[in-house]
Amino acid sequence: MNVERPHDLTYQVAESRRVVNWLDSRGRGLGMWAFVAHRITGIGLVVYLLLHLVLLSILAQGPDGWDSFVALARTPVFLALDVVLIAGVLIHGLNGVRVALTGMDFGLRQQKPALVGLAIVAAVALVYASIRIVAG
Amino acid sequence: MIPAPPPNKARLAWLVQAGSGLLLLLLLCLHLIANHFVVPGGLQGYADVVRYLSNPLILTLEMTFLVAVTGHAALGVRAILLDLGLSQRAGRNVSLVIGALSVVAVAYGAWLTSRVIGGLR
Repeated sequence: MNVERPHDLTYQVAESRRVVNWLDSRGRGLGMWAFVAHRITGIGLVVYLLLHLVLLSILAQGPDGWDSFVALARTPVFLALDVVLIAGVLIHGLNGVRVALTGMDFGLRQQKPALVGLAIVAAVALVYASIRIVAG
Repeated sequence: MIPAPPPNKARLAWLVQAGSGLLLLLLLCLHLIANHFVVPGGLQGYADVVRYLSNPLILTLEMTFLVAVTGHAALGVRAILLDLGLSQRAGRNVSLVIGALSVVAVAYGAWLTSRVIGGLR
């Protein structure tokens, strides 16, 4: 079905907000918050993926370059960033499972309890991962 | 005029996105456990990395992981960009550019792995 776009000022103002419209969850339900969190963590993980590929280039410098990087990666700042990374992975991954299942018509009526349950699983997993990361 | 995408193409993209996501859950767990959680100090030294990647099963899993994560990320970014209400032509260009960047990323990862395994010859 084709959609005609009106060209009045109201629509032009709305158009200019389109880029950030999906970020605005105010007054919307829990599902919209999950959608925003999913997209933000997804964008963060894409940035991390590119950064990861770039950092792995250090391997091409041989043992000296890599072992120096490993020493840097064990500093508190990097470890803190690792915790943030794990949080992003858990939010995106577990919410993704919910989206995939509901997209295939599984558990449509149990979406909210599923979301809350997965959030609890994510929190527990994050605490465990954080302890493992900090403890070395 | 904004024509709707062909239903089969959109459905296929969604299925690949969901399928790669579920596959990634398993592969990411394996990747994190093998590279960070069972290794003393959380990061492998250079010799350990070479030994790790020289195992054919590990190499297969890591390459599969690279392809799955790159494809999943590419489809995700594409979905966000297409949500901006691009024209059909712009949408096609976005898909092409993202596809090309994905191929470059996978090719780079494979090349880097072969360099490391080959001992930087």
